[in-house]
Amino acid sequence: MIILVILIPFITGILVPIIPFRKRWHKEVFLETAVVLNSILVWYLLLHHSDSTFLLAHFTGNLNISFRVDGMSMVFAGLVSALWPFATLYAFEYMTKEEHENVFFLFYTLTYGVTLGIALAANLLTMYFFYELLTLVTVPLVMHTLTREAVLASRKYLYYSLGGAAFAFLGLIMVIVYGSTTDFILGGVLDPAKTAGKTDVLLLIYVMAFMGFGVKAAVCPFNSWLPQAGVAPTPVTALLHAVAVVKSGAFAIIRLTYYSFGTDFLKGTWAQDVVMAVVMFTIVYGCSRAVKETHIKRRLAYSTISNLSYILFGVVIMTPLGLAGALTHLVFHAVMKISSFFCAGAIMHQTDRHYVHELNGLGYKMPRVFGIFTISALALMGVPGLAGFVSKWNLAGAAVKSNNPLAWGGIACLLVSALLTAIYMLTIVVRAFFPGKDFDYGTISDICDPNWKMLLPLFIFTVFIILFGVYSQPVVDFFMRVATGAV
Amino acid sequence: MYLILSSIFFPILAGVFLLIRYRTPLSGKKNADSKALTTLTGCFLIVTAGLVIASLLTAEDGFTLFYLTKTLPIYFRIDSTGTIFSLLAVIVLLCAGFFSFEYMKHEERDNRYYGFYLLIFGVLNALCFAGNLITFYLFFELLTLASMPLVLHNGSREAVMAGLKYLFYSLCGAYAALFGIYFLYRNCDSLTFTTEGALRASAITGHGGFLLVVAFVMLLGFGVKAGMFPMHAWLPTAHPVAPAPASAVLSAVIVKAGVLAIIRVLGMFGRDFLRGTWVQTAWIILTLITVFMGSLLAYREPVLKKRLAYSTVSQLSYILFGLAIMNGTSFAGALCHVLAHGFVKAVLFLCAGAIIYRTGKTRVEEMRGIGKEMPLTMWCFTIASLGLIGIPPTSGFVSKWYLAVGSLESGIPVFDVLGPVILLVSALLTAGYLLPLTIHGFFPGADYDYNMLQKKEPCKLMTVPVLILTILSILVGLFPEIVINLIRMAVTG
Repeated sequence: MIILVILIPFITGILVPIIPFRKRWHKEVFLETAVVLNSILVWYLLLHHSDSTFLLAHFTGNLNISFRVDGMSMVFAGLVSALWPFATLYAFEYMTKEEHENVFFLFYTLTYGVTLGIALAANLLTMYFFYELLTLVTVPLVMHTLTREAVLASRKYLYYSLGGAAFAFLGLIMVIVYGSTTDFILGGVLDPAKTAGKTDVLLLIYVMAFMGFGVKAAVCPFNSWLPQAGVAPTPVTALLHAVAVVKSGAFAIIRLTYYSFGTDFLKGTWAQDVVMAVVMFTIVYGCSRAVKETHIKRRLAYSTISNLSYILFGVVIMTPLGLAGALTHLVFHAVMKISSFFCAGAIMHQTDRHYVHELNGLGYKMPRVFGIFTISALALMGVPGLAGFVSKWNLAGAAVKSNNPLAWGGIACLLVSALLTAIYMLTIVVRAFFPGKDFDYGTISDICDPNWKMLLPLFIFTVFIILFGVYSQPVVDFFMRVATGAV
Repeated sequence: MYLILSSIFFPILAGVFLLIRYRTPLSGKKNADSKALTTLTGCFLIVTAGLVIASLLTAEDGFTLFYLTKTLPIYFRIDSTGTIFSLLAVIVLLCAGFFSFEYMKHEERDNRYYGFYLLIFGVLNALCFAGNLITFYLFFELLTLASMPLVLHNGSREAVMAGLKYLFYSLCGAYAALFGIYFLYRNCDSLTFTTEGALRASAITGHGGFLLVVAFVMLLGFGVKAGMFPMHAWLPTAHPVAPAPASAVLSAVIVKAGVLAIIRVLGMFGRDFLRGTWVQTAWIILTLITVFMGSLLAYREPVLKKRLAYSTVSQLSYILFGLAIMNGTSFAGALCHVLAHGFVKAVLFLCAGAIIYRTGKTRVEEMRGIGKEMPLTMWCFTIASLGLIGIPPTSGFVSKWYLAVGSLESGIPVFDVLGPVILLVSALLTAGYLLPLTIHGFFPGADYDYNMLQKKEPCKLMTVPVLILTILSILVGLFPEIVINLIRMAVTG
């Protein structure tokens, strides 16, 4: 069954261009049904998982392609499968204005399967395989409009990702050579007998592999592909470049750090300091660039860069609390950012405006979209009572408790970044609602809120932002159990 | 429980209702239903005030509303410090609210103003009744967000810039404070407010030095809201651009949220922990700089509302100075000055508003003979000025007396004497920047053309709130025992 949830999206995707749909809504129903069914299947699988490993293919020695559901996969697969149906629904409406949507939906649905493959992989090799595949299936999505800009962006995306994967491959080799197995085991698999005397080399390779996987997680200095990839249609930017793809990077780093190298091996070494410094820098760097950027989607992309490093900051604290904080932000940020991206997409869809300075006064014409955008902005800033506060609280709490002075500095970075977040998000809100004394509302008279297909996902995400903000205990408890290996 | 909750959530819901129900059409600048809107707002204000007074009188027990996460309760409780701030908030918001019914006739989009005004009322009540640091922080951020629309109300470019400046300074302060909260949370058993200090003994011996840094960062952070140097620059920009009654609320009440925050933080760290450390010294220096600098800048400022805003900067640091001395007498003086400055500054801003409303004059030098045109308003202005300067029977005298005595008792080297000296110099400057209005207003000089004189006294809706506040400010000065007793309770907890 575990292989089924990966295969269904593949088959569905491939069928989209083949089946001659007579009406567009037939295709919509077909796709939505398949995606929803698959998501239900995933959730069923996660809730009734057994510890057994599903072996698909065996190469040599301890190299095989196999799948297993553990705590981490539950978090990531659960997140992805919860968001995908909404994103597909949103995409139906959004793609009415774009061309060759069959190709789009083909690869869009394929990506679902590949992402689940990453989430459910039982060992480093399987994850690596799907990780490479993810790059390949998402390139056509970035290239979608086929403009020169899009082609350049997708080429850059391809080179960056493949280059990063090559570095990550080094890490894979090291784990194969110096580990007892390549399976994911919380606490790491490195064999102390083999690693004796080679600690520094291994740490160096860890840093390289971290940066390699970090390319997808947009760690500075390998972040420039992400804002450029914003030329893709918004459903791609929102779901892939704020959740699925970039969080695959973060997910891979979690696997590498906690499940392959092991925190006992890494904690307190220079490698931890190096990656933590990089992450802290990225947190502030991403936000500062977001403040400078005037294109809405690119601004949100820079914000993603910064927020991904929040997650990685939790990861590199290398304590269970830190991992729990990272997972909290992984999930909560997904909801907040997809909500704000969908708002940006709705604005572009309804008005064809792409720059922040063009948004004057729109708040009165699209009150629902901008209301939701405001809530997601406040959540990203970390106003108490919304989701962002809880995840930042957990991250900062973990950092305080780690007794690592560098991590204390990281808290300062988080807060500086929160301030910058307020600047780049709230300037949009203020523009939309306070356009200035002599603003002519006649220029925006024919603009209105989008239809229900766009609004429904937004409402649901907003409900979750608020729900997580005021009542997050069960979720956070679950993350804590994942982080301590109790699930 | 229900009284406290309703005094918080009734005005918030009422505000949201006004924002949605009375939406101003985009084409027209004015709401058609202005009369219904003001009547309704008036009712809401009175009901809210009633609810707050009722919850203060019944003094309900503390209760936890819900848990944000397992260890973060949203907890409300009424204590005597909160009571003082709450009283101030209710009185000033009520008076300024009625004042705005007339004043807002010459501004646009009044539904937005009243909506957010009520939101602020609810949030302020929540701040005063918050029982732990997380609850407080939650509403502290909401206060910034809810009060920003009042700052950028008129929508001009200047106002929008001022609003953003206000927002970013305030958030910067709030995040600095949050930095401290993270560490406090790990080093305290709970974040519930106390007056004796909540730090674990092991934490103090373990890394007391770092905790002092944390305390300083928190003081600076919350100090932003109270306009403390070096993060005071937003205040003279943001307060004057708001409509005058909103400026009154901002200057008299909302900045006091920063003071309340600092009182709470001091309680959490414990005065014994901070007394005699570099934190105390640095803090006293900052407050004294602010006191002097604020007065000096006010003295040089030609625009009346800006002058009053600079004066707020200076006067708030009187309060902070009293807190920084960290003994009972100066603390009493600080709390007394919270009330005195609150009433007085509200009167001053409302008078400035009345002048703008009736004559359109904003600069001090245009106001020659204003006392002949608007005698009642200017009498109130004069009495309030005397209060702020600290001339005996008025309110400011008592509070400054306690501040000075507390400082002299404290025995802190150099500053025990330097403090009162700077307070006195600043009082002199206060006289210098406020009294010219009275002097030129009532004695316009020989060349003044009395034939041009018109009576411009505003209507009762404006004068009565100002009169009430003026009388209250005198009462605080005449019967300080009542206030001091209440404050004693706050000191002893």
